[in-house]
Amino acid sequence: MRAWKAATVVGLAAFALVVLVPFWWITSMSFKTYEQIQFAQSIYVPRPFTWENYRGLWLETRFPLWLRNSAVTAIVVTAITTVIACLSGYAVARLRFPGREAVASLILILYLVPPALLFIPLYRVLAELGATNSLAALCLSYPTFTVPFCTWLLIGFFKALPAELEEAALVDGATRVQALRRVLLPLAAPGIVAAAIFAFTLSWNEFLYALVFIQDERTLTVPVGLNLLIYGDVFHWGQLMAASVITTVPVVTLYMFVQRWMVEGLAAGGVKG
Amino acid sequence: MLVVGLIGYPFSRAIWLSFTDKLVGYPERWVGLRNYLYLAEDDSFRTVVVNSLVFTGASVGLKVLTGLAMALVLHATWRWRNFFRGLLLLPWITSTVIIALTWRWMFDAFPGRGFFNSVLLDAGLLSSPIAFMATPGGAMAAVVVANWWRGFPFFGVSYLAGMQSIPGELYEAASVDGAGAWRRFWHITLPGLKHVLIVTILLTVIFTINDFNIVYVMTRGGPGTATQVFATYSYEVAFNQLRWGRGVTIAIYAVPLLIALIPLVSRALLRERA
Repeated sequence: MRAWKAATVVGLAAFALVVLVPFWWITSMSFKTYEQIQFAQSIYVPRPFTWENYRGLWLETRFPLWLRNSAVTAIVVTAITTVIACLSGYAVARLRFPGREAVASLILILYLVPPALLFIPLYRVLAELGATNSLAALCLSYPTFTVPFCTWLLIGFFKALPAELEEAALVDGATRVQALRRVLLPLAAPGIVAAAIFAFTLSWNEFLYALVFIQDERTLTVPVGLNLLIYGDVFHWGQLMAASVITTVPVVTLYMFVQRWMVEGLAAGGVKG
Repeated sequence: MLVVGLIGYPFSRAIWLSFTDKLVGYPERWVGLRNYLYLAEDDSFRTVVVNSLVFTGASVGLKVLTGLAMALVLHATWRWRNFFRGLLLLPWITSTVIIALTWRWMFDAFPGRGFFNSVLLDAGLLSSPIAFMATPGGAMAAVVVANWWRGFPFFGVSYLAGMQSIPGELYEAASVDGAGAWRRFWHITLPGLKHVLIVTILLTVIFTINDFNIVYVMTRGGPGTATQVFATYSYEVAFNQLRWGRGVTIAIYAVPLLIALIPLVSRALLRERA
């Protein structure tokens, strides 16, 4: 047994190392000066330690604007997605209508259609609507992947709730909308929060659509903006790392608060990997 | 219905475009199957197909193996299991663009920027830096590693959930019958995980074969066409060469595979729900 315990500890340490080293590397680089990076000084821990990259990133680049664009897009998409996914998830899980099973399969299939297939025709559709080069393009296109996924997740959550509760509310004279709002939604809150966070994370991290649909540098989101920084100015490694750290922090913080629900949602839904 | 429209309409437009010679700025003309035939004869497109298969096969294979190892380790962890599960999931919630940038620097040839070169030189194991990303094999290995790093935690967590649902009595009975650790793993754990294994592998094949972000950010398909895959080549042809018809056709070439895989995944996932 002792050998197994030792093997477990070694295994855990190895996995933790594999996961943490890349995070540590970008964080440490974000606090190094240009000279430290260029001449490979103080490789492991930045000494002296500098905030210069963060200051430069904030004052000299369009990063704050990109951050704002990303936040606006992610919040709008999350709101749209949560409302639609709650209603359609409820409908598929609870209401009896012909073709219900077919709708459930269709939602799943829509989730599996890869963006790589859709970006060119979607671009044309958005161009015809005159919506390219604006955040509206992203707010319209991101729900094509967030809604099917979150609906699929919520169908599972709604199905897991006992139907008797809702029936009791209906017998007591509540309308269906009241039953949904007062009884079912509060109970499904963990699932809805998980779905909302998935929607937020997926939109916050999205790259391909934003790259294709937006050309104006002031309308970019963070992932595309970062990609621009590499080729735009090859000297600012530290700023790029600082930007990566700033972008990762909100998602990681959100995730720490709701880790348990997200992992349950993940196990329930089957997510991209 | 709205969403069906938002996906269904572009999808049918995609099929239509693939039968035209649409160039940006010119009206489209019907050319029948010419795009398909052109690509079937095209050498760089053949490289793209091979690259996509290598990229997908290698990443999925690595993810399954390390995912299993991670699940076994977490399953055997007696304390702080949820903490470590959360910690190990971090790559999976990080933006793929940031992951791709990070691994680009990790493999960078300059010692101060590239992690591997810095550490190996510092430890005296290397006398001069290696330019990993400059060779076709090295670049492919780098994109596979980045993709693997992002994906394996999801596999590990899924397999852990699967292992936790296997009844403990099975293991006890097997131990009583004298089965060793390896035989217990082979005859109890793996069959118990069969369903999860199938779902994770199929899902990941679908998303990896169409992956864009990691390859685009790390290598832009280079050096040459050494890491060009379906999605990046489609983007390159559509937005750099401005041949939309042909660009769409490249993406559509991956559709037969999707048509074969999607019903399998849906059936597996729907059965889980029933």
